Amino acid sequence: MTRRIQQVVVVGSDAAAWMAAAALLRSVSGAGISVRVVELPSLLQPVDAYSALPELAGFHRRIGLDENLLFRSCKAVPVAGRRFSNWSGAAPPFIHGYDRASPVAAGLGFTQLWIKGRERGLRTDFENFSLASVAAKAGRVPVASGGAGLHAAFGYNLDARAYSALLRHGATRGGVDSKAATIADVEIEGDRITAVTLDDGERVEADLFIDASGPRAALIGHMSGADLESWREWLPCDRMLIASAKALKPLPAFSQISAFRHGWIGLFPLQDRTALVAAFDSRATSDQALVEDLPALANIPMGGDVMASDLSQGIRRRTWAGNCVAIGEAAFSLEPLDGVQLHILHYCISQLMTLFPVEAGVFPEAQLYDRIIRRLAVNLRDFQLAHYKLNRRFDMPFWDGRRDAAVPETLQRKLDVFTARGRVQLNDDETFQDQDWESLFIGHGLMPQSYDPRVDAIPEQEHIAQVQARLNDIVGLAEAMPPVDDFIAGVNAQRAAEANAVG
Amino acid sequence: MSEPLDIVILGGGTAGWMAATALVSLIPPTRCRVRLVESEEIGIVGVGEATFPEIRNFNDAVGIDEAEMMRATKAAFKLGIQFVDWGFKGSNYLHPFGVHGPVGMDHIFHHRWLRARGLGATREIQDYSFAAQAARDCRFQLPEARSTALESAYTYAYHFDAGLYAAYLRDLAERRGVVRTEGKVQDVVQDPETGNIRSLVLESGETISGDLFIDCSGFRSLLLGKTLGVGWDDWSKWLPCDRAIAVPSERDELSPYTRSTAMEAGWRWRIPLQHRTGNGYVFSTSFINEDEAATSLMRSLETKALADPRVVKFQAGRRLINWEKNCVAVGLAGGFLEPLESTSIYLIQVAIMQLVPLLPGKIVDPRLRDEFNRLIDLQYERIRDFLILHYKLNRRDDAEIWRYAAAMEVPDSLTRKIELFRHSAIIERYRDGLFPPTSWLSVFIGQGLIPESYSPLADTMPGESLISHLDAFHADLLDRVEEMRRHDRFIDLYCGADLSAAAAAAEMRL
Repeated sequence: MTRRIQQVVVVGSDAAAWMAAAALLRSVSGAGISVRVVELPSLLQPVDAYSALPELAGFHRRIGLDENLLFRSCKAVPVAGRRFSNWSGAAPPFIHGYDRASPVAAGLGFTQLWIKGRERGLRTDFENFSLASVAAKAGRVPVASGGAGLHAAFGYNLDARAYSALLRHGATRGGVDSKAATIADVEIEGDRITAVTLDDGERVEADLFIDASGPRAALIGHMSGADLESWREWLPCDRMLIASAKALKPLPAFSQISAFRHGWIGLFPLQDRTALVAAFDSRATSDQALVEDLPALANIPMGGDVMASDLSQGIRRRTWAGNCVAIGEAAFSLEPLDGVQLHILHYCISQLMTLFPVEAGVFPEAQLYDRIIRRLAVNLRDFQLAHYKLNRRFDMPFWDGRRDAAVPETLQRKLDVFTARGRVQLNDDETFQDQDWESLFIGHGLMPQSYDPRVDAIPEQEHIAQVQARLNDIVGLAEAMPPVDDFIAGVNAQRAAEANAVG
Repeated sequence: MSEPLDIVILGGGTAGWMAATALVSLIPPTRCRVRLVESEEIGIVGVGEATFPEIRNFNDAVGIDEAEMMRATKAAFKLGIQFVDWGFKGSNYLHPFGVHGPVGMDHIFHHRWLRARGLGATREIQDYSFAAQAARDCRFQLPEARSTALESAYTYAYHFDAGLYAAYLRDLAERRGVVRTEGKVQDVVQDPETGNIRSLVLESGETISGDLFIDCSGFRSLLLGKTLGVGWDDWSKWLPCDRAIAVPSERDELSPYTRSTAMEAGWRWRIPLQHRTGNGYVFSTSFINEDEAATSLMRSLETKALADPRVVKFQAGRRLINWEKNCVAVGLAGGFLEPLESTSIYLIQVAIMQLVPLLPGKIVDPRLRDEFNRLIDLQYERIRDFLILHYKLNRRDDAEIWRYAAAMEVPDSLTRKIELFRHSAIIERYRDGLFPPTSWLSVFIGQGLIPESYSPLADTMPGESLISHLDAFHADLLDRVEEMRRHDRFIDLYCGADLSAAAAAAEMRL
């Protein structure tokens, strides 16, 4: 008879540790598995924010977290997309909206109709056919949106410390045992962590250790063969500044990512402030110089501290080694360019649940987990990299270099197939789907050279009518959505009503 | 506007007429003109009488009325495949077209089932499959579209006469504008510089030129293999069968599933159609000779034979590249993996439905070609592994072929899957390619690979509740199956062919 896993210890902090704890609590603690968190010092500062994709809502449902709490206690702002500006010379900004596209006919997406339309003189930009983008531009929140085969969703900008605290509260209230500590020693025998010794001398043993320590890689970093494979050759920003600016009024329904001479600057609206992130190449400019330039570059007054840190994009050569599973940034890290930080976490966690080891001591599940996480990472890296590759900021060494550099074969194939036919080559474990890649590619100016021949089977008048109908439907649907400030006020009013009803 | 693309399809049969129908139905004549060259002297292989549920997408896309098609091809419904004597002699299981357990629970259901088994529950996994239970009872109804209903937990395919299906499509394609030319190819003319195919010269002297050539010439692979010299990837060390003998017999029980019975040197199919039962023996000449195989097949028939047995030779494998220069192979010209899971017509369909959106202009864009080849490779490799699984997991010790198959080395991608399932009951998912986890599950379990353990996620419910949940689900499922019509009755009402008239029509076509 095999010996089951009895004790799981999560080592880490912040959203990573508490998301893992919450998921474990829901999934396996009923099976007699004890879950403990060794809580390392937080890596978060008051200025930090998380920017999340709509998929996070599914995770919240699974762990039983009331979404309304995000707006009440995490300063959350719902966002329908991300706006990219200054990436392409004089071209206007575009919004990557969080759409759930549905095809117009078997296997034939609307994008193919747009490509042909454009060839025939259609002048309406691609983003106007995205419900989420139009909602975002209009400052509207796609709540329970839908109709006419169109669906959009919203993600969130969250105060990172408040969100972590909310998750922590839920997990500890649910019965997860935790202890704040630092790690004095990691005892390893062969390919197995036998125990972790804490700063107070306590020796913590477990059948399975989950490394949720972020870039510290407090456990996985000790495992043999799990060193970091750097992606710096592809992603050149190696330094990041985080700061706060005052809240935007009215609140926009998108985050903004602007390219500048040495990297990019993100503005993430929150209810009480705007989180500001700058990622850049430290060989081209210094922290100090950039801090001085930031208010002008971001076109927003700044206040408070500016925090600087190193970026180290890359992936662990093993993301699950022996009895140690790395999740989130302990497994791989990217720039906070596409709002995938929490997505990576919950994807890793849900894979771990699906592949939860059946036996203490042998872990054949590790191989599959590692393959899945690597595919996820490569797909996301390529998505980020495409922003750089497709830039049209000429005569700037940083940007010229990114445009001219070769990209990994996986991305090159995607670019080739899209250029040739406007089709997105999707692999296993893709976070972003057809509509996301299309928005990214076309937004950055990559225009397909031909379209699916089935489009020509649609008579011209009908084609025009379909295009027009889609525009009208989108405008109608977006107008019916609440503005961001109303949406947030509505969530809070709901609480007041509930309180009254109870009182 | 530029001139339409001239597409020449070489070969009729299922592949040729499916390709012709799809091209002419989905792409307007302003974009392509389709010609099909075939010779009545060259017979079609047409072994494929069983299909996979994906064929319904094809039929829907090209605008085929299901009942009409079924009437014309004397089709019956198929809810899965029954495997007899594969695990061990006397064993039998059904690979159903649908999930086990309730809808939306397939990630955890088999773990729960394994746990219940450990607690003493005795039902088989297939007892929890709607498709398997309906199939066992010879019942059928169209599945529900509502995605939460239990009656949406399955899908279906067809058993049909592939020759009649090709004829049905030919009629459709010709009416929609495909030009058919009768004749045999004598010569293939290539561009001396690019090597592209320029034209086919027929024995009649007629020259048929084109921009894009679709090779549906069957095993001969006249254009892709013979003319362009694309090499063959031989997979017979994993899939050793190299011959099939087919014979129709009189109709008997119209069971809505294919039966595959393991034999002394391969396996035997039984495919019920409206007007007859298709039978065949797929075997390896390394383990039995043709005469013995034929005798064995004839002896095994349950009803009277309607014709003499017909032999088809093949080798499992595929062309290394399915689209080379301006030539795309569809069907046997591109590869063949034995008929075990009825994937031949599926592979034809996939090639066509990938080609349509990637259709090139007058000059082939290599980016489109590479994407096509990548997708086709994925399909072949995933089907290959799934087919090998059936052989590898056999536990028969009574014949040489089975001992060979159980001992053979299999691709790493498959070994990995088997070992993970054995240890943890985990099934890897993939995006492109046939066979969802539920298919893998039925073969793993059906052939006796019971995992050593199951996910702790299945341990959260108290044991007694788990057992009573399973009992209740099973009882509910049986009730619902009982309410379904008998399959033969459903066929009569839905698409019953006028057998005598249809038989006459078939005679004329032959």
